[in-house]
Amino acid sequence: MSSPKTSAPSIKRVFNTTVKSLKNNPAVFVPFLSFLIIELIALVMIFLAPRMPFRLVLGPAIRTFWGERFMHYPLNFLLLPKLASLSKMVAAVIFSSLLTGMAVAIVSDIYHKKQLRLGASFKSACKKYINLFAVVLTFTLLFYFSMKLLTVGLMRYFLAGNSRLLFLGIGAWMGPVLMAINFALAILIQSAFAYAIPLLIIDNEKLIRAMLRSILLFKKLFFQTLGIVGLPMLIAVPFIILQYKSAFLIDRLFPESVLLLLFVSSIVSSLIIDALITVSTTVLYLMNKENQ
Amino acid sequence: MKKIFCFSVIICALIFLAGCNPNDQYAIEKEYWWLQRQISRIFKNPNASPPSELERAVDKLQKFSDKHPKTGLGVESEFNIARLYIVKQEYEKARTYLKSLMDKYKESKAMLSELLFMLGNSYEIEDKWSQALEQYKQILREYPLTLRGFNVPIYIAQHYKAKYQPDKMVAAYQEAIGHYRKLAAENAESPLGFKAKALVAQTYIFLSDWQNAVTALQETIEKYKDKISMDGLMMDMALIYHRELKDKVKARETLEKLLAEYPDSQLVKTATAFLKELDKK
Repeated sequence: MSSPKTSAPSIKRVFNTTVKSLKNNPAVFVPFLSFLIIELIALVMIFLAPRMPFRLVLGPAIRTFWGERFMHYPLNFLLLPKLASLSKMVAAVIFSSLLTGMAVAIVSDIYHKKQLRLGASFKSACKKYINLFAVVLTFTLLFYFSMKLLTVGLMRYFLAGNSRLLFLGIGAWMGPVLMAINFALAILIQSAFAYAIPLLIIDNEKLIRAMLRSILLFKKLFFQTLGIVGLPMLIAVPFIILQYKSAFLIDRLFPESVLLLLFVSSIVSSLIIDALITVSTTVLYLMNKENQ
Repeated sequence: MKKIFCFSVIICALIFLAGCNPNDQYAIEKEYWWLQRQISRIFKNPNASPPSELERAVDKLQKFSDKHPKTGLGVESEFNIARLYIVKQEYEKARTYLKSLMDKYKESKAMLSELLFMLGNSYEIEDKWSQALEQYKQILREYPLTLRGFNVPIYIAQHYKAKYQPDKMVAAYQEAIGHYRKLAAENAESPLGFKAKALVAQTYIFLSDWQNAVTALQETIEKYKDKISMDGLMMDMALIYHRELKDKVKARETLEKLLAEYPDSQLVKTATAFLKELDKK
């Protein structure tokens, strides 16, 4: 018979502790704010890709992969969400891996009521950088290739002459359905690897063991993990829909509205969604560890 | 820390430099897009826009064209002035303006052909086909080798098609074939000759004269196969043999020839699939 102490913490309790931690210790935001600055610099650079001197560096890649037309106003704004998402993936692997490690170390200190030392947290993340990098790279690649596989699979299915799949046409599949599947996939993959960084930073686990234990922990705390990862990600839904409707924004408002949307979306994603997910998964991990 | 600071300063300086040059191509495109957005109101509903709005739009377009005289968009804005006059049914103003542009661009055959074409359009929209036709014929006489010159014979035939005048349409297509054959003979050794020959085949396709279309395609392939890749024309031929002439043997022969002569072509996959489809039937 399990005692109340060993039962898994509820989503509400985890979120309460998360919000309290964020409210009482604004220093937790430092890693997320740092990543936001990196993300915004990358966004400004890709926005300026059609202009000198950035076109010398980014122009050839854009021309080769997407075509010359995306180097001109206003079509460059149609490509901006895709480029922003790719640049975010690269920045996440290189920088966010380290900064998330730092955030986990900070949360662990707060949870254990230790004195907050940003420098020490950063150093402890730096020591594990290779492992952190590998974890984020693994789940980013997993997400990217599952998305690609799905898109290519659907394209091939419809190009083979089929007009419908499960009562839906190509328009629905390649648009809202694919977007919803991608979103669900993002939640699932992120949930599966949610505990890998806490395991690396707090428990000094080895890389492969950390990833495997994270998946096992996800299995054990399935609904709680899905809740604490999925609920904050719901905030991103309106932004995802609006980014998908970039052409509509350009036509009805003005081309720069896409850039504005990406700016706001980056701020919300880094300072609210990522912060909530990282802190709450670390809190859930620590609570679960404490219970055991 | 010092390195991060230096890097940030360099990035900020580059961003500032990139954002502050008002005369790069991107800045011109942006300026033009906003201008076009303003004038699109007139294009969408010409009857609802007051004359003052037209004047303002013309003024802005003219200023833009004067500011960027040697750019494609500068020229495009001049064409838009003429288009604005036409949609506002101020045909005489449009023609006067187009004639002034003809003076300005008298050195460029491509521009003159486009201006004449728009002059013809102004008559056509005003329902003065004979005067429009005069302009189009002038393009054929004086600028037959321009992009517009190549398109005009088919444009004339399609006008008759849209107006439900089949006899005139067929006559116009026949005239187009004669015109293209003449151009092909006169420019046999240049890419223009190839283009004219390919248009002969295209015009037969418009006429649904499939036998002559494949003959023309075959002639083009024979004549230019050493100079240009003919995989596209071969695929067209195979399609005509299969779908229109119901000649499977010829379709297969053409596809096999395509695969043998152009093994690296982008059409190899399609041709192979097509051959398989022919085997099934």
